[in-house]
Amino acid sequence: MPRDGAALWDCAAARAKAFALVAAVALGGFATLLIAAGKDPLKAYADTLLYVFGNAYGFSELLVRMIPLMLTAVAAALPARIGLINVGAEGQLYMGAWLTTAGALAFADRPAFVLLPLLTLLGFIGGGLWALIPGLLRAFRLVSETISTLLLNYVAPLIVSYFIFGPWRSPDSSAYPQSPAFAEAARLPSFFHSRIHLGLVYALAAVVLYALAMTRTRFGLDMRAIGGNPEAARRLGIPVIRYMLATMFIAGGVAGLAGMAEVTAIQGRLVSEVSPGYGFIGFLVAWLAGSGASGIVVMSFLFALISAVGDILQITQGVPYAVVNILMAVILFIVLGRQPVGSGAR
Amino acid sequence: MNSALIAGVVTSSIMSGTSLLYATLGEIIGERAGIVNLGIEGLMLIGASSGFAAAALTGSPYLGIAAAALAGAAVNLVFAYLVVTRHANQLAAGLSLMFFGVGLSALIGGPFVGALITGLPRLSIPGLDPGGIGARLASYDLLVYLVLPTSLLIWWLIFRTRWGLGLRTVGESPSVAFAAGLRPHVLQYQALAWAGVLAGIAGAHISLALTLSWAEGMTAGRGFIAIALVIFAKWNPLWAIAGALLFGGAEALQLQLQAAGADVSPFIMTMTPYLLTLLVLVLWGWRRQSAAPAALGRTFVGVE
Amino acid sequence: MTRTGMMMAGVWALFAVLAAGPAAAQDKPPLIVGAIYVGSVNDYGYNRSMKDGLEEMKKAIPGLKLIEAENVPETAESERVMEGMIQQGAKLIFATSFGHQQFAFNLAKTHPDVYFEHAGGWMQAPNFGNFFGATQAAWYPMGVAAGKMTKSNTLGFVVGVPIGYAIGNVNAFEMGARSVNPKAQTRVVVTGGWSDKAKEAAAANALIDQGADVVTMHVDSPATIIQVAESRGQDSIGFQSVAAEQLAPKGWLTGLGFTWGPFMTETAQSVIAGTFKPAMVREGLGQGMMAVAPFGPAVPPDVRTLVTAAADKVGQGFNPFTGPITDNTGVVRIPAGESWGGDKMGNFDWYVEGVIGKAK
Repeated sequence: MPRDGAALWDCAAARAKAFALVAAVALGGFATLLIAAGKDPLKAYADTLLYVFGNAYGFSELLVRMIPLMLTAVAAALPARIGLINVGAEGQLYMGAWLTTAGALAFADRPAFVLLPLLTLLGFIGGGLWALIPGLLRAFRLVSETISTLLLNYVAPLIVSYFIFGPWRSPDSSAYPQSPAFAEAARLPSFFHSRIHLGLVYALAAVVLYALAMTRTRFGLDMRAIGGNPEAARRLGIPVIRYMLATMFIAGGVAGLAGMAEVTAIQGRLVSEVSPGYGFIGFLVAWLAGSGASGIVVMSFLFALISAVGDILQITQGVPYAVVNILMAVILFIVLGRQPVGSGAR
Repeated sequence: MNSALIAGVVTSSIMSGTSLLYATLGEIIGERAGIVNLGIEGLMLIGASSGFAAAALTGSPYLGIAAAALAGAAVNLVFAYLVVTRHANQLAAGLSLMFFGVGLSALIGGPFVGALITGLPRLSIPGLDPGGIGARLASYDLLVYLVLPTSLLIWWLIFRTRWGLGLRTVGESPSVAFAAGLRPHVLQYQALAWAGVLAGIAGAHISLALTLSWAEGMTAGRGFIAIALVIFAKWNPLWAIAGALLFGGAEALQLQLQAAGADVSPFIMTMTPYLLTLLVLVLWGWRRQSAAPAALGRTFVGVE
Repeated sequence: MTRTGMMMAGVWALFAVLAAGPAAAQDKPPLIVGAIYVGSVNDYGYNRSMKDGLEEMKKAIPGLKLIEAENVPETAESERVMEGMIQQGAKLIFATSFGHQQFAFNLAKTHPDVYFEHAGGWMQAPNFGNFFGATQAAWYPMGVAAGKMTKSNTLGFVVGVPIGYAIGNVNAFEMGARSVNPKAQTRVVVTGGWSDKAKEAAAANALIDQGADVVTMHVDSPATIIQVAESRGQDSIGFQSVAAEQLAPKGWLTGLGFTWGPFMTETAQSVIAGTFKPAMVREGLGQGMMAVAPFGPAVPPDVRTLVTAAADKVGQGFNPFTGPITDNTGVVRIPAGESWGGDKMGNFDWYVEGVIGKAK
């Protein structure tokens, strides 16, 4: 990345242009598909833009969607810097939500200024510990973290389901499987009469801290050294194992924050479907962004926008929301096919 | 424990294990060639939806199987183009494929939700007609009967033919394969085409034999179970048979136990296969066994 | 301006033009109604019954516009979808699945000028009402049908999520069966979700393996279970929608269906007239929201008479949950002289005598 202002701007402009082209092609391809299915894609695109930019609620929902995406993207990007592949943000998110719920139920009578920081911490620890398992297995050369994080993605929601069907089953809603509603004090506050919540601060903080840590701290430098050549890094005296463990823990913790935010701000309780795949989309966001911080924000915005297209298609044209995944995938396919995108070392 | 329970569990395991096995076999072929495909879930969904749509339109579940196989192959060739020719990141490409499959299957299957089809008929083994409990054990659909021979065939293909040797060489080291006069890209395309066929058939079994319906996302993570199964089976089609029965069995067992009146937590039971796989992996790692094809390892292990 | 820049400008201009187009008004409808379904309306089950009710409402009020969204999960996503409908002008929203309640309620607070009807919950506000069928007692006549038609004396019941209301349904079913066949037993299998076709198929097979020759269910869509029963030559009793009969030409006995049309029409009319009153509406057999499905060809006339008589009894107020009632571990749960009314239907965490299964 060039460091002086003008070159930086040129670089960004060039990337934006390239990406706009990709988006235009993908939108065109998707539109053709919709026309073949008898729908009106141009109207849908227009409606989406109107809804998202011409409507306070629409715009706020865009931001709400971006929050978990930015967090899970950082959860994938951070380990990528030292060459670790974390596809487990989904599971880490669930475990963050789980530990948060444990705290919210156990300490329901505490005031908000005590409870919210506690729950934030618990969310972080929940996700962090869940990521630490694959971290340990990888650091001691037992199992590839790609596989272990993937497998644990499936165990985490089952643990959540076990608890909401069993020990945490809510007595008030006649045993409908969900936890009891969290106390007011346990709810992450929202702003502007919308659903934008404090989680936005967490997400932006995570992205900013990530960027700063990578570029301006000793840790960032060490991590990039490990990412480039772990053997050499080891010989230079960098404690690679410690970095692996710390990185996985922090990454999992950030994903855990996404889970904490979902249950305290949006749902208000623990439910069986905490995340509709944010962990996987976050991975793709991080990958598209080349694990760069500003890219993460931009790509999260893009994916949130695509989701909005899906909503509009569903409400105004009766197209199943799931179909919008095609648009998302086509964009990814085009980017994947154009040139080898950097895998993290930048 | 009564005989009805045992028979029921065995039958259910075989029924639900069949689609798992097809998907696992497909992924084994691809991974033996050095390509990991996280998008099997998407391929299975495409297979399930296009198979169902074809069966609803033509009235023939066999045409449904054919449609599913073709659709799976076609889409996986797109994936192949990205990872083999364009050298795209396999994990990202696989996840993108998964999302693509979720979306495309919803589009294909949408108009057919609620359609009534003639599913794959259950055929009894000629000559065997035990009646009663035995009747259930001895009558399955075509895809179930074919899965075992298919596994053996694939085992033979991979381990006993020149093509298979070439495939495995590519999976160990594409450059060595190239130096030996093989064409790695061609082999990988072939492998992925077959993997697509098998994944499509795996999906078709669910919609055409198990549930006789289509619903969005109906594969419910089976594609990811298959990825775990490949590792559990040490990339060997024969072990995959056992693994598929085990994983298929866990789900079947808890439902049958309930029907018999026993008390099990469905979630603990569903968790067990994943934890078991992880345990097995840890054990191998401990004993320094790595059965993974070396070139595949590079994708999995990253920088090492 | 670069070429790319001009291209982008052109695209934006195109969007602007297109956006302006649809804004040209059509005739203003008397009411725009929004409805969200948790699954697909082609499920021969719960969602189908909701759709049928809404279509009836639409026919009854000329010009009414209906906006629908299927497969809306019971999560915060539903809030987004409902809000989108409100933005499109909807003034009455039907949130048709239990899990949509909290989110519809949130929106009721921020949109006091929009009215909400939720199915199956209990929350209320000046612009938020609740409705559902009083299903439990209605299962009694279903049990009568099953009890008379079974030859193996084993009945099978697939439950999606073991909430109190569902357990109550199972209990009434078994009691109805026992009233005509003291040897009848009901086996229960829980799939863990309202809609998982693969598990439902496996559950139905498991019950039939264990000897059940009449199978029924409380899941969103009866289709898979009925089809499995039919393919194995067993009888089935449907739930949620009377449309399910066509799935099992031979084995269909009868079923329970929801008839939401009249209630929905009434509600829409009250919104148009400005007389909406929030209420907790629970209607059972004979009161408008529930109906017994037509009998299948296998059901003989004497059984039909019995079932219809039982249904009429329930319609006139018969409450099967009148003590003494013992659970399946021998504990007396409802003492003599007491009975459990509508408000207690969610409290079931025990199965009656004759049910094989654990409720907790």
